Amino acid sequence: MDTLFREPQRQSAIGILILFFDTIRHYVKAFWAIVVLWVFKIDEINTTYLLLGILVAIVVVAIIAYFTYINFTFHLDYENQEFVIHEGIFNKTRTTIQLNKIQQVNINQSLVQRMIGVYALDVDTAGSNAKEGKIKAIAHPVAIELKAALLDNEKRKTVQQEEILEAPIETDQEKPFIKISTLSLIKMGVTSNYVKSFSLLLLAFFTILDYTQKILGEDVLEKQNLESYVNKEFLISSFFILMVALFVMVLVINLGRILIKYFDYTMTKQKGSLLISFGLFNTKSTIIKPEKVQIAAVSQNYFQKKMNILALKIKQATSGAKEERKLAIEIPGCNHLEKDAIMKLLFHKIPEKGIPLKPNFRKLGFALFLTIGLPLLGYSIFRNYNPTLGIQFNYLVPVYILFVAMIQFFKFKNNRLYIHNNHIIKQSGAWDICTEIIEPSKIQAITTSQLFWHKNINIGSLTLHTAGGNIAFQLGNFTTIKQYVNWWLYELETSDSNWM
Amino acid sequence: MLRMEKFTNDTIDITQLPKFEEVVFTKLHPSYWKIILIFNVIFILALGIGLAISLQSIPEFLPYQTQLTIGVVVIAVLILFFSRLAFVKKGFAFRTHDVLFRHGVIATNTIIIPYNRIQHVALHEGIISRFFGLAKIEIFTAGGDSSDIEIPGIEKQQAENIKQLLMGKIQKEL
Repeated sequence: MDTLFREPQRQSAIGILILFFDTIRHYVKAFWAIVVLWVFKIDEINTTYLLLGILVAIVVVAIIAYFTYINFTFHLDYENQEFVIHEGIFNKTRTTIQLNKIQQVNINQSLVQRMIGVYALDVDTAGSNAKEGKIKAIAHPVAIELKAALLDNEKRKTVQQEEILEAPIETDQEKPFIKISTLSLIKMGVTSNYVKSFSLLLLAFFTILDYTQKILGEDVLEKQNLESYVNKEFLISSFFILMVALFVMVLVINLGRILIKYFDYTMTKQKGSLLISFGLFNTKSTIIKPEKVQIAAVSQNYFQKKMNILALKIKQATSGAKEERKLAIEIPGCNHLEKDAIMKLLFHKIPEKGIPLKPNFRKLGFALFLTIGLPLLGYSIFRNYNPTLGIQFNYLVPVYILFVAMIQFFKFKNNRLYIHNNHIIKQSGAWDICTEIIEPSKIQAITTSQLFWHKNINIGSLTLHTAGGNIAFQLGNFTTIKQYVNWWLYELETSDSNWM
Repeated sequence: MLRMEKFTNDTIDITQLPKFEEVVFTKLHPSYWKIILIFNVIFILALGIGLAISLQSIPEFLPYQTQLTIGVVVIAVLILFFSRLAFVKKGFAFRTHDVLFRHGVIATNTIIIPYNRIQHVALHEGIISRFFGLAKIEIFTAGGDSSDIEIPGIEKQQAENIKQLLMGKIQKEL
């Protein structure tokens, strides 16, 4: 086996065709505007020139495809346990992937590839997408062999076996770990998505205001007689009914969505993992592996706090499809005790809020500038150009300022980064207060950032990158941030903690 | 690996830890500035030619000839100024256990990746870079696009060495 793929190899020779079509697609994507222009002006352009142009384009693309093929080689470096890909005609890139970092090797076939009889082989490592190893044209037996060779290392084998062992799920006889009652789901449905409900309500309110103004407006009054007064009252009351109906509708839709999606939400423990199944019409099931969990987010608003329910969101590091990576597992409507039980399972202990890091007041100032200052500036300019149109909205200005200022104030007040030995907790949000919890060992990279005019007042920002997303905290005391960064780096670099 | 006989568990004094902010950064190779200049000059030339053509063909533009020319010159100066600033501010450093990259014009960003979190490494040579014997190192982690490092303007041989060093580090850390 060790001699396999040792020498740099090219793709299947027939694969030039794939590269040809690929290059064409690439250029069409880049120059589609010109192509469309050509198609529309087909009568105006001399047909000979057009054909000649197309011919030249095809020849050029063919040459590019040929050189792409010639310059694309891959091989296995057994000494260093690496998979190496060389590519590029003028811009040359050499990608090296450690064999034991490979998560998955996928063999796919697109329509064009099926017609020609070749396969694509994608090498998937955790994290970064798109830039990983991708071979576009390879014969099936070679693909199978390469896949075997790529996955042929001890570490990888054990991981795979584990996954296979866990695949058949039989939990019927086990008692569920947590079962979310329909009542909790109803509570959740009534109390969540307030922003959506509120904005709809606001919209309804202003529509009514607009209508009443039209009705009470001078133009209308002049023409109307007593008869229409009755109509007016009827109209106003019907609009209030409409508003209430709209609110109820939003609630019902929210409720229905949550009930249908999460009905019979059951979590079962199995070998340290959590099996989850839910859904009214089509039951979905997922699995949470504590070691793969990167970020756990808890969200709760004032009403939910009073009702003792909260929503949990769990982001895992997955090696699957790109869409899967973005998806978080949601656990709606569990209470405090259940949350603690889940946390204990995920993190082995209940996360504690450590020393808080507060943002500088400039953060509030900047947020107010962005959400109030700029819109008001825009509005005043608009009013200058449309004096008659603009004045109508004047009464909205204080309402807007008050509302947005309140949101920004609570956002600022709630924004904290709690740092503890075992956990880092970021708290944010104005109404729905969200706390995101990560373990320092799950950090992949750290970015610190400072605007040059913040150097003297010593504030700056921090971003912790994990395989499940970033945790960012802006405008904190920069000396403290730097100290923590040094400490986290020390922790990361002195231990061989497994982040996945 | 935990060795029992050597195991100690003293409290760590955070202030005594190695400080990433005191690391001396290596500047990018001076030739890399030439590459940036070439790209900028091409862009500015294209802009100037575009202006000249539009002045020739669209008579409505003629009264604003001076303003437009001044505009293009200002844009050119700004581009050159900010490119130079960005070039000067870029720097990298390899410590025993991690790699640091600093960049940014208005904000100074420092990204740090511990070697035991690197997923893979790629070496990229652009066509003009190759002419100057320079290469770009790309370091990828599992933390998504925002946590990857791209260090341009490193001498080819040095880049090879760095890559070899990184690959060695990744292996040792496993």
